[in-house]
Amino acid sequence: MNFRLELEKAEGRKIMGYFCSYVPEELIHAAGFIPYRMRAVESAGTKDSSGYFSSTNCSYVKHCFDKALNGKFDFLDGLVFMNGCDHSRRMYDNWLHAGIKPDFMHFLTVPHILSGMAVDHYTGQLNKLKSSIENAFQVNITPSVLEESVSLYNKKRALLRTISEMRKHDIVPVRGSEFLKIMSATTAIPVEDSITILQDIIKNLDGRSVSSGNDIRVVFTGCGTEEVEYLELIEDCGASIVADKICLGSPYYATLVKENTDDPVSALSERYLTNLSCPRMVDDFRRRIQSIKQSIESFHADALILDKLEFCTYFSGESLLFQKEMKELGVPVIALDREFLGGNTGQIKTRVQAFCEKVNNLKAKI
Amino acid sequence: MISAGCDVGSLTAKAVIIEGNRIISAKIIPVAETPRSSSEKVMTEALNTAGLTMDDINCCCSTGYGRHDIPFARMNMSEISCHGLGAFWLDRSIRTIIDIGGQDCKVISVDENGMMNDFIMNEKCAAGTGRSLEILSKAIGVDYKELGDIALPAKKTVEISSKCSIFMELDVMRRLYQEADIREIAYAINHAVAKRVYGLARTLKIHNDTCVTGGVSKNVSICNQLEEMLSITIKRLPLDPQLAGAVGAAVFAMKHGDLNKIEDESVKIPEEVCV
Repeated sequence: MNFRLELEKAEGRKIMGYFCSYVPEELIHAAGFIPYRMRAVESAGTKDSSGYFSSTNCSYVKHCFDKALNGKFDFLDGLVFMNGCDHSRRMYDNWLHAGIKPDFMHFLTVPHILSGMAVDHYTGQLNKLKSSIENAFQVNITPSVLEESVSLYNKKRALLRTISEMRKHDIVPVRGSEFLKIMSATTAIPVEDSITILQDIIKNLDGRSVSSGNDIRVVFTGCGTEEVEYLELIEDCGASIVADKICLGSPYYATLVKENTDDPVSALSERYLTNLSCPRMVDDFRRRIQSIKQSIESFHADALILDKLEFCTYFSGESLLFQKEMKELGVPVIALDREFLGGNTGQIKTRVQAFCEKVNNLKAKI
Repeated sequence: MISAGCDVGSLTAKAVIIEGNRIISAKIIPVAETPRSSSEKVMTEALNTAGLTMDDINCCCSTGYGRHDIPFARMNMSEISCHGLGAFWLDRSIRTIIDIGGQDCKVISVDENGMMNDFIMNEKCAAGTGRSLEILSKAIGVDYKELGDIALPAKKTVEISSKCSIFMELDVMRRLYQEADIREIAYAINHAVAKRVYGLARTLKIHNDTCVTGGVSKNVSICNQLEEMLSITIKRLPLDPQLAGAVGAAVFAMKHGDLNKIEDESVKIPEEVCV
């Protein structure tokens, strides 16, 4: 638990964890909780969790569950799971089987398709989550309180987008690894604090430069990317990450939730399901690749880095399709396959540095 | 202007000193305790041979997996770019380089200036690299340096897995128990490694002007088998191909700031480092 949460906890505030980007923080916040995005960073290993999973399960999930087994999430008062992927679903089963805290756990079922019917179904699931929290903690999530939460989170997303937009400039004011740090911090503290911090950061970014002459500009995509050191390693090889498509990145602030509506739960459903999707959503590939192409153009990127965790079925397929699309577009691309906190830095350094050298050679020819 | 290249790999460290288009000195040593000590040792040997001191070196470029820990290097380049440029500098017709080192294997494409324009590299598994050859040659009681020559007279081969070094070793042990001919097992080991490299190489466009660099380039059996699999004639470099990375680094050091042009002169190589 971070020190900010320790202070809040000491003052009696409750914290609710959630997995994945399809769980609306607004709903948790409106119930009086501090939403905490679950994370695997700072895991000490997978010694205890390995027995619960097969050798072909994702390392992110194993690290996360290991932390849970070792009491690292004991500070939570509640936890919301969702059907992000089969690996995380299995984690929910194991969580129940192992009898780990907290007492309140809810499994949110999110549709895998985009349609009017899917949005209606998801609205129903969000109402179930709402009732579940209300009953368990004897609170009342009124439409007006939910509206206030929506407004706060919209403000936070808009500030994050302002910082992101600054990365379009020739002189980049913030590294991709620093941005991940910002995302990581602002999903683990009260939203009110996040807004203040983000406003301060924006003021301090004016005139700041992290650009280096020979660095290539890249868009970074991946799953379960939480390790700041990993992005630092990539950037130190000469790849300046100017835009991303990762859970703790642009999809978070891509769209806002509609405000001033009669039914804020439906507004949440609409936003969360139709927001820039991750590969768990089927029949939405064209929109995702279009978004990558737009980012490459608007952020003046030279290349694309496709990062993925080993055994991630969604991103394995996505990575191959992206490579094919980029080849047709003439955009250099490198696919990295790794374990969460997996080390292997020597080979990654060589691979990424050589890729940067290749892109610079290709640029010199134009 | 005298420049140097220092390539610290996983098994050996190499240093090359050049002046213009002339190689003054070249050394290969087994790695010491740390990349730093390996680089200092190999560079000292190369300097001593040339009768030079570090002060005589205008610029040194490091490469190889230890490239970030070499105190006397003013710049560093990836071994992929260095093997590409090094092989090209030694033979200007070269466009594809298959570099098989101690722990990894790369296939590199270079343009008409020796600049790398594409590459592919093996991922985590060390099957198809020098390290797996070392393990497997040990299993059959043969010095890994002899593994290529021993396999040459083999009339037929035996089947062994090429999926993983450990499975390969188990298969080799099984063949030993079956009292298979050691030359055939050696051929099969080389074949398994060549097959891995071929699988990697075919994902890139392979030019007719191809050479093999890195320590495994000295294994004639693997080179012959690659020629057959890829239907090309592999060009032999005029210098020990294990030195190609260090040569490339030295050329990068020489051309520091002007990487696009290399003088079109033939390279002069002292006899003692010629193949």
